[in-house]
Amino acid sequence: MKLHRMRIEQVRQFRQPLEICDLEPGINLFTGPNESGKSTLVRAIRAAFFERHKSSSVEDLQPWGDSSAAPGIQLEFDWQDKRWRLAKSFLRQKRCDLQVGGQSFNGDEAEERLAELLGYQFPGRGASKAEHWGIPGLLWIEQGSGQNIHDAVAYAGDHLKSALGESLGEVASSAGDELIARVERERAVLLTSTGRPTGDYARINQQYDEYRARLDELDASINTYCHQVDRLGELRQQQQEDAAKPWQDYRRQAKEAEVRLAEVEGWVREQQREQKELQRCLDSQRLCRDQLRAFAKQQQELEQRDKARQKAETTLTELQARQEQVETRLAQAQTSYQQARETLKQARQDEQRTALSRESTQLVQELAEIDGILSNARELQAQLQQQREQLQANRIDAAQLKKLQKLSRDLDDLAIAQQAVATRLQFELLPGQSLQLDSESLTGQGERLLLEPTDLHIAGVGKLRVQPGGEDIADLVRRQQVLQDDITGLLGSLRVENLVQAEERAEQCRTLQEDIRRNELLLNSHAPDGVDELSNRQQLGNQRRQELQALLAELPESAADKISVTTAETHLETADETLKAAEKAEASFRVELGLASQALQSSNTEWQKLQDEIQSPDRQQRERQLNDQLLDLRATETGLETSIDSRQQQIDAANPDILRQDINRFTRTADAMEKAAQERDKELIRLQTSLETLGAQGLEEQRAELAQELQLVSRRRDEFSRRAAALNLLLELLKAKRQVLTRRLQAPLQRHLNRYLQLLFPQASLTVDEDLIPEQLIRTANGTEERGDFAALSFGAREQMGLISRLAYADLLKEAGRPTLIILDDALVHSDPQRLAQMKRILFDAAQRHQILLFTCHPENWRDLGVAPRDMQSLKVSA
Amino acid sequence: MPRFLHTADWQIGRQYSRFAQDDAVALAEARFAVVERIAQLAAAEAFDAVLVAGDVFDAQTVSDRTIRRLFNALQGFAGPWIMIPGNHDAALAECVWSRAQRLGAIPANVHVALTPGVLEFAEQGFAVLAAPLTQRQTHDDLTCWFDAAETASGLLRIGLAHGSVQGILTEDIDSPNPIAPDRAQRARLDYLALGDWHGIKQIDTRTWYSGTPEQERFKNNGAGQVLAVEIAAPGAEPQITPRPIGQYTWQHWQVQLTVDSDLDVLLQRLSEVAAPSVLDIALSGQTSLSGNYRLQQALSVAEARHRSVQCDFADLRLQPTDEDIAALHADGYLGEVLAELRECQQTEDVETARDALAILAGLLRDRQLQEGME
Repeated sequence: MKLHRMRIEQVRQFRQPLEICDLEPGINLFTGPNESGKSTLVRAIRAAFFERHKSSSVEDLQPWGDSSAAPGIQLEFDWQDKRWRLAKSFLRQKRCDLQVGGQSFNGDEAEERLAELLGYQFPGRGASKAEHWGIPGLLWIEQGSGQNIHDAVAYAGDHLKSALGESLGEVASSAGDELIARVERERAVLLTSTGRPTGDYARINQQYDEYRARLDELDASINTYCHQVDRLGELRQQQQEDAAKPWQDYRRQAKEAEVRLAEVEGWVREQQREQKELQRCLDSQRLCRDQLRAFAKQQQELEQRDKARQKAETTLTELQARQEQVETRLAQAQTSYQQARETLKQARQDEQRTALSRESTQLVQELAEIDGILSNARELQAQLQQQREQLQANRIDAAQLKKLQKLSRDLDDLAIAQQAVATRLQFELLPGQSLQLDSESLTGQGERLLLEPTDLHIAGVGKLRVQPGGEDIADLVRRQQVLQDDITGLLGSLRVENLVQAEERAEQCRTLQEDIRRNELLLNSHAPDGVDELSNRQQLGNQRRQELQALLAELPESAADKISVTTAETHLETADETLKAAEKAEASFRVELGLASQALQSSNTEWQKLQDEIQSPDRQQRERQLNDQLLDLRATETGLETSIDSRQQQIDAANPDILRQDINRFTRTADAMEKAAQERDKELIRLQTSLETLGAQGLEEQRAELAQELQLVSRRRDEFSRRAAALNLLLELLKAKRQVLTRRLQAPLQRHLNRYLQLLFPQASLTVDEDLIPEQLIRTANGTEERGDFAALSFGAREQMGLISRLAYADLLKEAGRPTLIILDDALVHSDPQRLAQMKRILFDAAQRHQILLFTCHPENWRDLGVAPRDMQSLKVSA
Repeated sequence: MPRFLHTADWQIGRQYSRFAQDDAVALAEARFAVVERIAQLAAAEAFDAVLVAGDVFDAQTVSDRTIRRLFNALQGFAGPWIMIPGNHDAALAECVWSRAQRLGAIPANVHVALTPGVLEFAEQGFAVLAAPLTQRQTHDDLTCWFDAAETASGLLRIGLAHGSVQGILTEDIDSPNPIAPDRAQRARLDYLALGDWHGIKQIDTRTWYSGTPEQERFKNNGAGQVLAVEIAAPGAEPQITPRPIGQYTWQHWQVQLTVDSDLDVLLQRLSEVAAPSVLDIALSGQTSLSGNYRLQQALSVAEARHRSVQCDFADLRLQPTDEDIAALHADGYLGEVLAELRECQQTEDVETARDALAILAGLLRDRQLQEGME
């Protein structure tokens, strides 16, 4: 289909006719700014085809505000070697004329022909909408809708499919899809979309499980029942056996054992009694023997005592022989001692006399010396007494003296001050003349210092009062007076008349003190402890001398051969020791002698006593008796031992312990058996009752019924299962076959798509779904396949894919012998320059087969499209 | 001349889980009904007694109602019923018989031998040597004592036992309870009435299994009858006549379909079988879709006629023919699916593939019918 010419008149901004001629068979580029009329051209082409000429819903075609306009559109195009001329006007003048070759069509008929040719529908009423546009809706891309391909393909779907169908021939099943839907519905009755049982199938499965569980329960009950029946049978049989009371036999055996045991126990008691008797017999024997042993021991003792007695006698005799010797030795020692004592006494007296004489001599010398010293000391003492008295009389207090000295100096100083300030009255009186100064009569020449107001009486003249200047004078006078008073007081106190006298007296005192100190030192040297002490010593010495003389007088004169005290003492000591030894020896001898005689006496007594005892007739008889008794006991012992041994053998043979165990065993066996029998009776009754109850329930019949139901359910379940499996298989197969077919049908479209796509993305492919709508873009980047859903692609990419798809559809349609005209209003405005360049190659390629009208407000983007652009402005001007 | 009926294995209380609910109920009911018919037969032909050789009940714990119903079913015959317990209803310490006694359900003319012993029926002219089972299973021959048992002279010696005759019924026998094959001769029996084998079986001239009077297995072994026994005098050879008494015949067919005419034969046979029956048909081989359709139609008709018709298609393959496919208008890929399913039957899960094929064919046929109506 080739559009050659179009002319529009009274359409929107084109009130005046606008004619575009000589359209190219390939690309036709229309450029112009916004509002320059590009969209109006597109709208006019659409209206010419899609809008019914009778439609009143096309007011938008009229120039603005001009309701009287009759918008008119004329198109001329070639199709199948025929020239088609369409003239259509709306609203004020509703007409549609179509000339094809030599034929003319008018009105609706003309419009139907066009719709059939291009593949679209008219609306029932009102304005034409996207869903009516069919193929042109797909190929004529409105401004800003290039990316939205889904709806457009859907609306064109039937036309596209028929185009495919025609190219492939009628191989598809006429009713395949409907059949698939039915199979799916059938399957949905049994299975969910995920393949799980649902509805009746699910219910029957559940039922099956329930029945199965109930059946298991019943089986368990039946099993219990059977076991109980078996148990009942056993119990019945045992009960029959119990009827004979088999435990009684054991009771009898226990009884027998008891009797036997009683007998054996009698033996045991007898045995114990005899054993006790034996023990007593043995004890008696021991006693007899002990007694006899004691008798024998006494005899031995008697002999020993005899020996002891003889020994004591010998000892005493020996001692008595020594007596004289001991006594002699003692007497000698006593004598020696006495002599030594006398010698020592004499030696001591001698020594005393010598000492006393010496002391006496010494004492005389000492006394003479003391007498000398004492007289000197007494002299000094008297002298000192005198000096001290003197000092006491002339004593001057040094402090007071010092104060006096100071006061005197102050007074002197004051006098000098008075001199300095006093009013000096100098007079030189004529001889004989006198003046009365106060009470003093002044004559001659002189000078007076006036310290106080003084009246100067001048006889005959009167009186002059001299008033000394300044207050100091008066003060000085007062101070002088004070000092004078103090001095006078002090002098009185010191009992001197003046200072000089005081100082003299002070000097005298000092000298006296020195004398006293010297004499005191002297006295001290003579009598350090004082004179009285010295005197005492003298007195004591005299007394001693008298004593000594008395003592000496008493003492006899010393012997000529006198020996020293020390020697005498040594002699005495020796004698003393000898004496002591002798005395001790004598004393011990005496003790020894006493003991020996005592020992002899006691051993005699003891021997006698024992002798008497042993020799007593009682004792003799007793010994005989004991020996007899012992013999008897021995005989008894032997008898008992024999008896015990034989009885023990008897007892051991009877084995009473085992007998006791037998009794226990038989009794317990009998008890247990009887008890078990009672338990069995109870269990039997219990079981009987239980079985009667269970039996009445008809368990096996119930089970059979349930098994039957379960079988039914199971069969039904299998049927469902088989049907589900069959439906699954069928559906799977149907879908698989259908898909294979679809792929085969889509192959041509795919080929066209890929042809364009290679120019944009080498090795990429774009899949379409069974409605031929682009689905996934598959690209290979860095060796990995990357799949992107169409809807998820960027706006620009979707626009590019959208255009590629449309071009492919156009190729498909063309191959199917359908007319194709492609209109792009401001397409690919979202593509980057690189992609745009590739898209231009694609467009140029498509233009080799299809006529393309491309409207743009960006002429610079399309300069390299290989065609001269038509500027809308210049078109208008040329119109 | 004593005449009596010999029967066994009534298996009262048996349930049939392989059948649909109402069929199963009817078949269980039939077991009571056959007892009633035995009573009628005995009464109508004035038999002297009815001997039941064990397994009267199918289980020990049947419901009280079942017990009462069984004894009620005996009312039609007032003569003596002589029964022994079998392995299903053995005389255990607690058993269906003790329950029946407690319930007071056993009429005076019913003699149940719960312990081994001789029951003399002088009036009828015979003594019954009863060997009841007192255990579920025993490995001793319970009829041993027959040899030494004394009976009044002039009375027939009739043995009544339940178990498996050694060396003859080694296979497929219900219990191991053994019976010596020459027991009748050794014990000088005039007749040995046996139970446990569900078909009619003659062991020797005097020893018979009567089989169950109402069939309950797909086994063609003479089940569904009772034995009418006539013995002229002690020592005389017994005259045995099997008498059909069962309601349903159970038939099991194994049919191989290879060519279309095989199907025709089957459909013919199906239409001719005596009603009411219990049918179990196992199919193998293959059939076309149209053949399958015909088969289904015929089975549907048979189900209405008979007590139960069960058909196992597990080994039957569907082979759609070109005509099938054309008839179903399975064009385009549907045709491919049909073909593939046909292939699947050869290699993979036959059953699933056949079912899928049947479903597809059904859907296509439905569609055609709809289109036809439109």
